[in-house]
Amino acid sequence: MSANADAAAASAPGSNLSLAFRRGLTDGAGVVAILYVILFTLYALWDRSALTVSGVTNLSNNAAPLAIAAAGESLVVISKGFDLSVAGVVSLSNVLMASYPVEGPGGALVSLLICLGVGGAIGVVNGVLVAILRLQSIAATLGTMIMGQGLALVIMDAPGGTVADWVSYTLTDVLFGVMPISGLIVLAVVGLWLLFRHTDACTGLFAVGADETAASLSGISVVSARFTAFVGAGLLYGLAGFMLSVQTATGNPTAGTPFLMLTFAAVALGGVSLTGGRGSLVGAIIGAATLMLLQKVLFSGGVSSFYTGIFQGVVMVLAIVFGSLVSRLAATGARA
Amino acid sequence: MSGAVSALDVRSVSKSYGATVALQDVSIELQPGEVHALLGENGAGKSTLVKILSGVVKPDVGAMRMGGEPYGPHSIVDARRRGVATAFQELSLVPNLTVAQNLSLPRQPKGSLGLVSGAATQKHGAAVLERFGLRLSPNAMVAGLTLAERQRLEITRAFACDPRVLILDEPTAALAETDWLFRLVRQATAAGAAVLYISHRLHEVRELCQRATVLRNGRSIGTVGLEDATDHTIFEMMVGRSQAEEMQHRTAAAQSTRPAVLQAQGLAGDSFKNISFTLREGEILGVAGLEGQGQRALFRALVGLAPLASGSVKVDGALVRLSGPDVALKTGRGIAFLPEERKTEGIFPALATASNIVLPVIGRVGRAGFVSERLEREAAAESSSQVDLNSRYLDFRIGDLSGGNQQKALLARAMQTGAKILLLYDPTRGVDVGTKQSIYAAIRSFAESGGSVLLYSSELPELVHLADRCLVVYGGRIFAEMPGGDINERTLVAALTGHSMQETAA
Repeated sequence: MSANADAAAASAPGSNLSLAFRRGLTDGAGVVAILYVILFTLYALWDRSALTVSGVTNLSNNAAPLAIAAAGESLVVISKGFDLSVAGVVSLSNVLMASYPVEGPGGALVSLLICLGVGGAIGVVNGVLVAILRLQSIAATLGTMIMGQGLALVIMDAPGGTVADWVSYTLTDVLFGVMPISGLIVLAVVGLWLLFRHTDACTGLFAVGADETAASLSGISVVSARFTAFVGAGLLYGLAGFMLSVQTATGNPTAGTPFLMLTFAAVALGGVSLTGGRGSLVGAIIGAATLMLLQKVLFSGGVSSFYTGIFQGVVMVLAIVFGSLVSRLAATGARA
Repeated sequence: MSGAVSALDVRSVSKSYGATVALQDVSIELQPGEVHALLGENGAGKSTLVKILSGVVKPDVGAMRMGGEPYGPHSIVDARRRGVATAFQELSLVPNLTVAQNLSLPRQPKGSLGLVSGAATQKHGAAVLERFGLRLSPNAMVAGLTLAERQRLEITRAFACDPRVLILDEPTAALAETDWLFRLVRQATAAGAAVLYISHRLHEVRELCQRATVLRNGRSIGTVGLEDATDHTIFEMMVGRSQAEEMQHRTAAAQSTRPAVLQAQGLAGDSFKNISFTLREGEILGVAGLEGQGQRALFRALVGLAPLASGSVKVDGALVRLSGPDVALKTGRGIAFLPEERKTEGIFPALATASNIVLPVIGRVGRAGFVSERLEREAAAESSSQVDLNSRYLDFRIGDLSGGNQQKALLARAMQTGAKILLLYDPTRGVDVGTKQSIYAAIRSFAESGGSVLLYSSELPELVHLADRCLVVYGGRIFAEMPGGDINERTLVAALTGHSMQETAA
């Protein structure tokens, strides 16, 4: 009887909006979005070209590969796993694009499908190893990462090659004079995520990430949730590799290596809990964009590029501290 | 009854995990409309049988039939589809989803385009909550619910499947009052469902069930009609030895002359206010209360796990500030706390039982900063004998032990600290009869050797038998205080619900 009184208090009406607001802050995307706006304002103050179409396009092109890779990583992290294979997939897609350029829009499509195929295939291997054979995700994906990087070196033993001109010119361009195409592609990923949010598979992902036993006793297939996460992540890494090639227009067998640490940084910065079950793909994308923007801000602020890493690290730590403070405050607020 | 087709008929089912035999030749048969109790000590095989019936694990051999048809579920969803739903003891709710989402797992209602509809999920959840009289918000996160609310939700989720066979595994472990559950069970059985009811609380079983099947060491010992079986018979079937001797009432010595060790004056906090009491040396002070009367916050505040808004605490007569369990341990003669949720707040499942026991005194079992395995074991063996924990368990990972043995180990840990004041919060929750006796004996001998115990229990008979005095909390305040002679279940029940003793005495 008394518990019912508590429950009635908890279900007091009229808190939907504040609930949504609180959730936005606590799932981390809110904090990093605010951070992004602050940094962008700073950047615009220092560098007027930031507000021009070419300035925005530049930022978008710059951030798209990492943003998409981080989006993929967030799927695995939400289901309580780690996926290191991102470095391998990005390198592999990049050298394939530079070694076998195919011209024209049809060629771009073929290249994209190849990249998605490579990412998807490695994702399936990860899925088999982690979801079905129940190996530790760090160990298994470390293996597939090294395999991917090794394969990239076999295809191309030194930086070189050229990505098809159509790809590197058209896809870095602007649509209707205002909209960067790379930005559209990131938005398309966000759109797919928003659709995916409304599937049982996505609910399964979050459930498995939070409590595997409870999820399976609730009738959720842990195997298919994990498998979905790895395959989805692989596909997104493939797309990230494609977008990186669009950017660099050349091949490099170690192109994916910086992605390894930066995707995890972006995911953590974006408020996706590395212990699973909490976060959003959108947060990871904004996290990646923030990391890339920070480089620009420091550059335009006249800070030597040697210091970039230090700043990125400090900002990340601060953002995570702030995010956890906010969610703790929100939690006590919810209890009161 | 015998002519009817059984709702569920399990014949000679066995299950082994490697060399460990969990179930051997277990048979049980449920009639439609029957509430059938499954009894047994922890580790007797009840959980395994539940998992087999609900499709989580497959039996090695044996035959199962439901309503005459062969029954062999290959998954939990399959079992549910065939009409078997389970409310699990360990609660199978997903914490980061809402109440409504949990109620519709694994398939949520779809809107247009085959996408999950949040509104439809919420509506379905609200309807289920309404139907089973649960006053929860469908949008509330499960992580924010109290243990009792979660337990109700788990039960509701099983009922909502409208099963032909319903399995309730320790459904009242976190519930102080059972009216709601019993009403639901009776409705379900009236509609022809069979219920398999697992509980350590025999009075509940007697109130609700018609027959009981007893498991011991993985075998089914037999099925008895509860009307014909005495408690003694049932205990003997469960423990297999004449350990079922009646608990004798503790002879409460006139202890008001003993020194006060813990004095609380006007304590107020999260969900309690104006709490004052004195705990004396060698005394077991009981605390009784329905769920959510502030007792949990009170216990946690006494070791600094929850904030105190006002009031003072004196230990051994000196005013103290208890800012955390580590400080509490070192204050005066030492205060140790045994928390409610042993799985999340007590054990370190991957460590050996011995390591779990000596954890608070890890500095004392080492040489030159390194833990000595021999010293660790000796220390653990000493305190485990105080709680009647078989020393062969000391080298096992504590996560592999049954709940009862885990609880013994945690009690040993609290005693190991050397603290002379123990705060025990429902120390026998979900623990079997034999283990309870050991825990009672350990608490008594602790008090006899000069220790003081503040004991909350959700089981009134326990307080009646153990406590020298008993405080009753109601609505966050101390509603009544009863001296030892006055403690009996009738007056306690009255006080628990806020009726004064005078009224009931009259």
